Amino acid sequence: MLIEMFEKPLGMRDDFPSIVKRKSKLSAAGIKRMEQYGYEMLQTPSLEYYETIGKISAIADNQLFKLLDNQGQTLVLRPDMTSPIARVAASKLLKEKMPVRLGYYSNVFRAQLREGGRPAEFEQMGVELIGDESIYADAEVILLATQILRDLSIGSGKIVIGHTQLLQQVLRGYGLEEAMVEKLRAEMVAKNKVAYENLVDALTVGAEEKASLKSILNATKLDEWEPWIDRKDAVQLSLYEGMRRLKSILDRNGLEPFVTYDLSFTSHMTYYTGMVFEVYGEGSGFPLGNGGRYDGLMKQFGLHVGATGFGLRVDRLLEAMPAEVQQAENALILFNENNEDLAHEKAKELRKSGVNATLQFASAVNALDEFSSLFSQVIRLDGGQNG
Amino acid sequence: MDKLTIAMPKGRIFEEAYELLLQAGFDLPAELDDSRKLIVEAPQEGFRFILSKPMDVPVYVEHGVADIGIAGKDVLLEQARDVHELLDLEISRCYIATAGLPNTEMDEMTPRIATKYPEIASQFFRSRGEQVEIIELNGSIELAPMIGLAERIVDIVSTGKTLKENGLVEYDKIADITSRLIANPVSYRLKQQRIDELVKRLRK
Repeated sequence: MLIEMFEKPLGMRDDFPSIVKRKSKLSAAGIKRMEQYGYEMLQTPSLEYYETIGKISAIADNQLFKLLDNQGQTLVLRPDMTSPIARVAASKLLKEKMPVRLGYYSNVFRAQLREGGRPAEFEQMGVELIGDESIYADAEVILLATQILRDLSIGSGKIVIGHTQLLQQVLRGYGLEEAMVEKLRAEMVAKNKVAYENLVDALTVGAEEKASLKSILNATKLDEWEPWIDRKDAVQLSLYEGMRRLKSILDRNGLEPFVTYDLSFTSHMTYYTGMVFEVYGEGSGFPLGNGGRYDGLMKQFGLHVGATGFGLRVDRLLEAMPAEVQQAENALILFNENNEDLAHEKAKELRKSGVNATLQFASAVNALDEFSSLFSQVIRLDGGQNG
Repeated sequence: MDKLTIAMPKGRIFEEAYELLLQAGFDLPAELDDSRKLIVEAPQEGFRFILSKPMDVPVYVEHGVADIGIAGKDVLLEQARDVHELLDLEISRCYIATAGLPNTEMDEMTPRIATKYPEIASQFFRSRGEQVEIIELNGSIELAPMIGLAERIVDIVSTGKTLKENGLVEYDKIADITSRLIANPVSYRLKQQRIDELVKRLRK
């Protein structure tokens, strides 16, 4: 027999009931936690102008879903939530309430170019703390992100923290040309240690400087950053001091064993201006989420204020979350034409006691045994026997 | 100890790479490749080897089903996957080059390039401001200019013997190739100590 297929576009997925159930638990826990920390939930439209959001967003142009509206304007399906929220925050209404704490739980869209195994539409949740340039704001978003992971029982997590501006300052401190600083940074973004080391080897600096430059890729602790900091450079010094304060806040909140400080961890996006971080957990081969300080993005919306935040990928959180052990109780009530009212009565009782009850007219089911096996409890009012 | 899953390319590169691991002092069975198994355990070191096609190593690593892997730079250049490139193992040395019949020019209207590496080929010609048509083949690329499918090929050259035997000459060298140790970005963070340790031992 030939089976007719009704296909869906590349990267689009159906969420079956078991996934939807887990997702709604996840979103409830996440939203509750964000609200507890004083973040107000915000929803923005799925469609945005390419000219504003599409170009500013961190997502590569060829990953955007683009379409035209009836005026011929190019629109995009929002590829991330940070830039729409920055757009909203730049409006007059919110400007007066700075610092403003906004949270979101939304689907975003990114076209898949090469292969399957990756969704083109997925949910993200996260927060943006806009209008606060202090290190305390940075600490707050990291603590909130890790708290949400804990709420979801993701225990085996790890956080990597870097600092884009400090990295740039440190590299400049070696007296390199700006183009070379950019090249070295690009290899860090590409995670290409081999190419980075080759670039360093070809530099005209001394052997000591070369060894020092190479060691930037190997640090895991904040103390290890110290030799790179130029004590006479006020900017470097104050950024490094800021990181130390951030670390002490995180340590005091019990995060010490989970955090790696890697100065070479950075982002391809130039709007990140301060600390950047990424979160990992066992069970997912891809990062669970990331965040950082992005004062540069706010500037693009004409707002000269600090902003920091994070986003977590719901699909990857689901992979890293432990599997549900306990199944919710669900009952099936099979009735016939003579006892439909009794069935309603029975269902009402069950639902009151917290059990999900499905009412089903028995004759309408073809394979009764198979259908019944989907439920933890079967009540037969239709006169048939269980089993 | 966490188990470390290592994706290894089958065939030519495998033997050299395995030899490197043995030289680095890892306690591994002397022979692995002669079995037809796709997954081989080395319990003394807590390694699990996945034996795959060279082209597939970065796929396993990017998706995180292998923590680390050994992949040719040619494959990495072609696929541009999100993995850490940790160490140049300096084995399986060769290079990528363009080649064709001697004393020939590329067709002016529709210059055609046959290759197993469409991404590398199109990037190379784009960087020279030439617009070419890429024809993807899966092997015996040298055939293409000989029978008139394309004027040039882009392929791996190790000794140049194959080119010579088929009457082809090299035109431009594109990139040097060696095998690299790569790591999944999540594994790199979660198992950093073990991976760093392995890199250190292989460096010696």
